[in-house]
Amino acid sequence: MTETSAPSTVQRRQAWIDRGERYGLLVAWLAVIIVFGILRPTTFLSWMNFSTIFGSQAVLVVLTLGLIIPLTAGDYDLSIAGNLTLSAMTIAVLNVTMGWPLLAAIAAALVVGIAIGALNAFLVLYFRINSLIVTLGMGTFLHGITLWISGSNTISGVDFAIAQWVIVNRIFGIPLAFYYALILAAIIWYVLTYTAAGQRLLFVGRGREVARLSGIRVDQVRAVTFICSGILGAVAGVLSVGTLGATDPNSGLTYLLPAFAAAFLGATSITPGRFNPIGSVIAVYFLVTGITGLSILGISTFVQDLFYGGALVIAVVLSQLVRGRQERVA
Amino acid sequence: MNLHAARVAGLALAIGIAAIGAVQAQDAVAAAKADLDKYTAIPTFEAPGEAFDAKACTAGQRIMQVPASSAVPFVSTIANGMAAIAKEIGIEYQIWENQGQPTQWVQGLEFGTSNKFDLIDLLAGADPRALVAQIKAARDAGAIVTASHLTGYEQEVPGGLTASIPINYKQAGKLIAQWAIVKSGGKANALVLVTNEVLSTDSMMAGIKEAFDAAPESKFTVVNVSIPDWATKIQSNVQSAVIADPTINYILPIYDGMNQFVVPALTITGASDRVKIATFNGTPFVLDMIQNGQVEMDVGENLDWIAYGMLDAQMRLLCGLPPVTDPKIPLLIFDANNAATAGTPAEVSKGYGDAYVAGYKALWKL
Repeated sequence: MTETSAPSTVQRRQAWIDRGERYGLLVAWLAVIIVFGILRPTTFLSWMNFSTIFGSQAVLVVLTLGLIIPLTAGDYDLSIAGNLTLSAMTIAVLNVTMGWPLLAAIAAALVVGIAIGALNAFLVLYFRINSLIVTLGMGTFLHGITLWISGSNTISGVDFAIAQWVIVNRIFGIPLAFYYALILAAIIWYVLTYTAAGQRLLFVGRGREVARLSGIRVDQVRAVTFICSGILGAVAGVLSVGTLGATDPNSGLTYLLPAFAAAFLGATSITPGRFNPIGSVIAVYFLVTGITGLSILGISTFVQDLFYGGALVIAVVLSQLVRGRQERVA
Repeated sequence: MNLHAARVAGLALAIGIAAIGAVQAQDAVAAAKADLDKYTAIPTFEAPGEAFDAKACTAGQRIMQVPASSAVPFVSTIANGMAAIAKEIGIEYQIWENQGQPTQWVQGLEFGTSNKFDLIDLLAGADPRALVAQIKAARDAGAIVTASHLTGYEQEVPGGLTASIPINYKQAGKLIAQWAIVKSGGKANALVLVTNEVLSTDSMMAGIKEAFDAAPESKFTVVNVSIPDWATKIQSNVQSAVIADPTINYILPIYDGMNQFVVPALTITGASDRVKIATFNGTPFVLDMIQNGQVEMDVGENLDWIAYGMLDAQMRLLCGLPPVTDPKIPLLIFDANNAATAGTPAEVSKGYGDAYVAGYKALWKL
């Protein structure tokens, strides 16, 4: 009796630890909502507040999704924020300055994103250079192009239709941008979880040499991840123009670190230890909910940085502690 | 009976206080409106000092300029304007092109010092407080070191500079606050967006406080967002503030580059009709936003006029004349009535008239 119950106790404990790790971030998010809900029930718990939280962060969500695809394959794309900025500026310049129709300008921006992804892939894979270095240089290069084509100016007056289809039109009171981001996250989740291509990508990320020996075309898989990242960077640029109704040559670059923070924070939940789209979406909204609550309380913005950075470090540390315990138990 | 009398007296006192309050509020609105009216017409030229022969007394002199960042159009427009005017006068004028990194400012100052420039200028944000050692070295080597378009009239010269050529930031701050007070009938509840690391913020805040102090039924709260965080924090902070306090009726971003993040915050929260925006700088894309109905008012400054004014002050120092404490660079209020005078789309330095060009040329005896 004792011999059979002992392992089951360990297994039950292990199952709880697993659940705790998988859903810890979700629980932390709910805890943040409860705490701020108690402190400011009428304003924080209003539907307007949540629709604002959901609707205003689509750019960051899409940028984070763009990052996790190459990260899953073991590559970095530090040029994605530069890609966002250049794509957004492409739309503004073509639509406002050159009078192109909006759809044509958006199509051009997406082509720019694909081209950036393809160029990153070519430089990394053909010349066998670390992706960190190539994309770091590429990001700076793209910023130079953005400054050049914009004359370093902010350009406003983009066709209002883009704002209507991003933040003005709503479903359940939440701007459409939120649903675009969710759809993209769902597609990435489906591909990674249920398709052969997704499994090959995960395999490449776990070990390139083993994947190659297993017959997977590793370079092809990595090239596709860079192109996907390029497309999503451009999509983030489109959403950015739709959100702001304008674009400037610098501010998009500041999204890079928050996107990485969300990607790494997301990797501690849902599928712990693996970059995953659902975890990333939760991470973005966990961070934004905390920051919104602090703003509603009227607390200085430096506290928001403490929350942002602190939450990331604590989540990763806790995740590591749980994993260490798991290994000891094993 | 005594109790009744006391109640009547109390009621009368309360009505009296309320009446005085209402009268004070109306006085404040009238006074603020009178101030605003002074800044709605195309400005006229006012000489910042006595006339002097600029060409003769700056002959052979060299000016080195370190702008805050060549990638910021506001800064580079002034810098290039000053270079063009200096060339016309015959002054050798070199711009140290940079991307806003303090190490590049250090390089610029050291280059200016070692190459014996007569005057080294830090333009529009290159912070002298971070360059004290280099400024001292330049002054020890005999150079005049100035900061232009950095401090307000009432602020002290920072960082050991020879002189600081100021802008009337306090008045600009006062005007955007007064606009909110007047347009809300003396009942403004404003969210003021500031960037504390910029020196001129203190001066603008002094003007904003002065305007609100004179309006007893108006109030404001302040949110500080540093420049690198504008894209990621302004929108979320404005959204939260507007949701948390539904009586907010004005957003006052003290630098108009903030507006592209304020406008979507109001759109997403559905507050565009209730909450208006008054701001400062007169950057072309914000003047376009006025024409589109997204921003209500922008206090503008003519960048070309600034270029003339800053160079005038620098030449006076080179010529041994007294330092300029008020370069007489005017402010102009742009709203829906006159935003189109800046062009559609708006252009830099358009809409202010051109009286200053002839004025400065006469002042410099050209």
